[in-house]
Amino acid sequence: MSREKVSFMNLLFSLFDLTSRIIAFILYSVNFTRIGTVYMPRIKVEVIDSIKDAAYSAIEYASTLKDSKYADLRVGVSESKTAHSENGTAKGMSEDYGFSFGVRVVAGGMGAWGYYGQPLGVSDLRGKKIEKVFKNSLKTAYNRAVANASGRQRTLCSLNQRGETSLSTALTEVKLAKIDVRQDTFKISFEKDPRAIALNDVLELNTDVSRQMKGISAEVRFAYTGIYTGIIRELFCSSEGARIDQIVPLTQGIIYVVAQQADKAPEMYVDYLGDLKGWEVLEGKNVHKLSFLDFALLRTKETVELAGAEFLKSTNEPVVVVTNPHFNTLLVHEIVGHPTEADRVLKMETAYAGRSWFFRGFDNNQLGKQVASKLVSAYSDPLTEGYGHYKYDAEGVPAKKVSLIENGILKGFMNSRETAAILDQEPNGSMRATDPVLVPLVRMTNTFFANGSRNPEEIIAEVKDGYYIANHKIPSISESRENFRITAQKVYKIENGKLTKLYRSGGITADSKDFLMSIDAVGNDFAIFPIPNCGKGQPMQTMRVGNGGPTLRGKARLTGC
Amino acid sequence: MITTEQLRTCVSEGLERIKKIKNVVEAEVFASWNEQIVNRLNYTSDIPCQGVQEPKSIQFYGVGVLAAFKSGNKIKVGFGSEPNDLSVRGVLEALKKARMNKISDPDYKSLPEPQGTPTLTNYHDVNVMEISDEKVVNLGWQALEGTLSSYSAKGFSKSLIVGGDVTIFKERMAIRNTRGIDDFDETSILTATITSMIEDEGVKGTGWNTATHLDKFKPEEAGKEAAESAIRTIGGQRIASGAYDVIFGRQPVTDLVGNLIAPSLSLISVNASDTPFLRKLGQRVCSPNITVYDDGAMPGQIGSKRITCEGIPTGRTDLITDGIITGFLTNDYYNKKLQSNLASFTPRNGFRFSLGGRNYNMQTKVSPTNVVIEGREEIPDKELLSLVKEGIYIGRIWYTYPVNGLAVGDFTSTIVADSYLIKDGKLLAPLKPNAVRINSNINHVLNNIIGITKEKKATLVWGGEEVVVAPEIAVKGVRLDSIANESTSFES
Repeated sequence: MSREKVSFMNLLFSLFDLTSRIIAFILYSVNFTRIGTVYMPRIKVEVIDSIKDAAYSAIEYASTLKDSKYADLRVGVSESKTAHSENGTAKGMSEDYGFSFGVRVVAGGMGAWGYYGQPLGVSDLRGKKIEKVFKNSLKTAYNRAVANASGRQRTLCSLNQRGETSLSTALTEVKLAKIDVRQDTFKISFEKDPRAIALNDVLELNTDVSRQMKGISAEVRFAYTGIYTGIIRELFCSSEGARIDQIVPLTQGIIYVVAQQADKAPEMYVDYLGDLKGWEVLEGKNVHKLSFLDFALLRTKETVELAGAEFLKSTNEPVVVVTNPHFNTLLVHEIVGHPTEADRVLKMETAYAGRSWFFRGFDNNQLGKQVASKLVSAYSDPLTEGYGHYKYDAEGVPAKKVSLIENGILKGFMNSRETAAILDQEPNGSMRATDPVLVPLVRMTNTFFANGSRNPEEIIAEVKDGYYIANHKIPSISESRENFRITAQKVYKIENGKLTKLYRSGGITADSKDFLMSIDAVGNDFAIFPIPNCGKGQPMQTMRVGNGGPTLRGKARLTGC
Repeated sequence: MITTEQLRTCVSEGLERIKKIKNVVEAEVFASWNEQIVNRLNYTSDIPCQGVQEPKSIQFYGVGVLAAFKSGNKIKVGFGSEPNDLSVRGVLEALKKARMNKISDPDYKSLPEPQGTPTLTNYHDVNVMEISDEKVVNLGWQALEGTLSSYSAKGFSKSLIVGGDVTIFKERMAIRNTRGIDDFDETSILTATITSMIEDEGVKGTGWNTATHLDKFKPEEAGKEAAESAIRTIGGQRIASGAYDVIFGRQPVTDLVGNLIAPSLSLISVNASDTPFLRKLGQRVCSPNITVYDDGAMPGQIGSKRITCEGIPTGRTDLITDGIITGFLTNDYYNKKLQSNLASFTPRNGFRFSLGGRNYNMQTKVSPTNVVIEGREEIPDKELLSLVKEGIYIGRIWYTYPVNGLAVGDFTSTIVADSYLIKDGKLLAPLKPNAVRINSNINHVLNNIIGITKEKKATLVWGGEEVVVAPEIAVKGVRLDSIANESTSFES
């Protein structure tokens, strides 16, 4: 089978093989270089400027098709450089472009969706081919939409003829909530242009960092590094008249380290630096305020220390735990972020990523009810810096800060135009696709626990007997996110307000509401960290999102070996 | 649509052109065309919905070149690709990128050499390759109607959810290298995986149907199975936390293989020292009743391919034989890198899976194909129940991860559907979904086998790369924890 899976090794592959070529998009003006006797153009982000008219023309064409109700087109280009290394040895590098597009059409008597997407290349820019490619693709999506609408009509008739009207009433035509249709451009600035960085410099930094990681100790069995730096541009246009052109930089470094002491089980850790910025991310302009080298060495030293630590033992009863911002990044992602995505809320992800513990039905849900301690608030804000930063989503909807939980009360969900219409809400611009070739999904943006007022050192100092849970590792969450087990990189015993013994392979587990209600202290050390590999959809899309929050104190059971 | 002949011409003419270029020591040209069509279902009886939500597809083709270049006294190797251009010009553009991307990797030894003869021939279905948009969409509606008619027949019409997808994979590839590999492959796969719930009853059921040929594909059967399974589990009970003897059904076995066992048996994990089977080749690691192998050449199985994406014939790779580690999954690169300090294995698992196909724009990674679990002593399903006497039958689990890393082997997941309490060797009552978390270790599972069934079924899980030809496996003393208490769960 050829479906992708989110795992560490596939994460590495997805970051450094796929991302550099497919999950990228942006163009440049044509710039000919000579290969033997053949002249080939190089794709750069400026190419978007030369294909806008073709995209707009194709969308206008889609509007002329019979019973066509809506159409949109996303086309993206990226320029990127990637490299990766193991134990000081180069393992690969690449400088390339990504170029792809996807279309959506609502058509048919009983309006239904149809989609199509494909990568593009230099050959598609010859003559007027690109316009033809766009139009043919819209026609394919249109044909699917019409066939889909017919299928729905047929099923409805069949159900009604059998007297099964209670099964048929839910089947309706697609409705999209109205939006403020915009024509706009948006650009995230950067200090060091990824395009100006020499490919060999990307590789050399990689090999140097992994060599120094390996050199820390003979107990370091494996030291892997990977870097991506690039720029991504995406054009959105719709039959409603939206024309949006956005450009963002992206720079990311990943480390994967395995250490082993004597005959003990190996200890591994994966972590990443990243932001929608230029090369400066790897020089210290990131949430850790560390260069890529210092970050990698810190994580490597920690892993070596952990390889000799005692395994944490599970507890049968909840204990006091203080969780740090890095750990809370994954916690908010799993138990607040995902269940406030409106497609999950409306059961659309039941077969895959699951439902939401916040919403059973229109007359039985947690909206307006207390789901967390009054000290807890949570938001999703694409207008702030972080991996989930943008001005317009993949439906051309202006991005908004969404209030999810305020003072413990559930307030709202991230949505799409379709889910907003069903929920009778205003669209808040939360639809994104990993690549234009894929359909957009409701996605977290920068989704976080809000900052508090307490000094985190004081929060720890008040604990007589408890545990400090530092840095997220691997999650496992229940189907509706109502229960979680998340492991941490490190767990420290807290005794009389001080961190004492270090444990490995530990974490916490709790019912989500129980944990959120137990929170009795919220720190003032708010931070947003990058999550580069959030898996959702079918076929699975691996999306980058920003998550975070401050230090929290609550109660949960410890998990261990 | 690109034909296999066009791909073969691309790699043939392209390689001949590359051979004439100075400083190219050796080269491999890989061209592919792929289409993944997905009909995603979403039916909710109490919420406005589309039924077939997303009829969609991704189609892509192009060429990738892996080449070794002479650079002074060194050999450097690089990879490049070009989309949507199968002309010699496209091959040369990919080569230009490979030259730009070349690095000195001391672990690169050579390109793959020809090995053996493929055994699968003409195993794809031309009807799948040429299926119309209308037919594709109708397959989705067939699956949905299968579920709804089953619910209707039993009188259920409220709080119903039907999700899942009907998916079609079409793959064509050709490969040629300077060491003599020159081959091609065509694959067609159809899958229907349906999940269904009656929310008021707090039950979920799953069903799936797979085929390589359109005339054998029955998506409505998957839909019926999902509904019937949900109905069977109405009235689920909670259990207290503790250690239980359990039967892992075929989906849980597949989930465990996909997230723990197969990754641990890959040379990628050995290379990273991140597997519980490190330095265990030839040693007993689990019950002697367990045998695991990968076989990409099994006729009729949807994980089968004629050749790998390196041009090596697929076939059987023994991984665990009677409890002893006998091999690892590998591609040519990792096999040659590690053969001097480990052993040499036939590289039958070098694939370029991404975006739902064999992707020309990446080098091979290591991917399982059909992973088969066998027992030395296999028994019928009913006898397995009687062996357990008292315990839990686990039919579907969710979010299974090695939470403390692969090497440690700890894993956790929740039981979400299709599960029962076992008493006196019989299914006594359904288990309440989403109310039990498994907290165990894969080494415990593999070393406490009670029994393995003879009957197996090719099984898929969401996000899984491999097909598992899975039996049901009974295991002693698995830790189960009661979760999601009544006050924090919205389930009835």
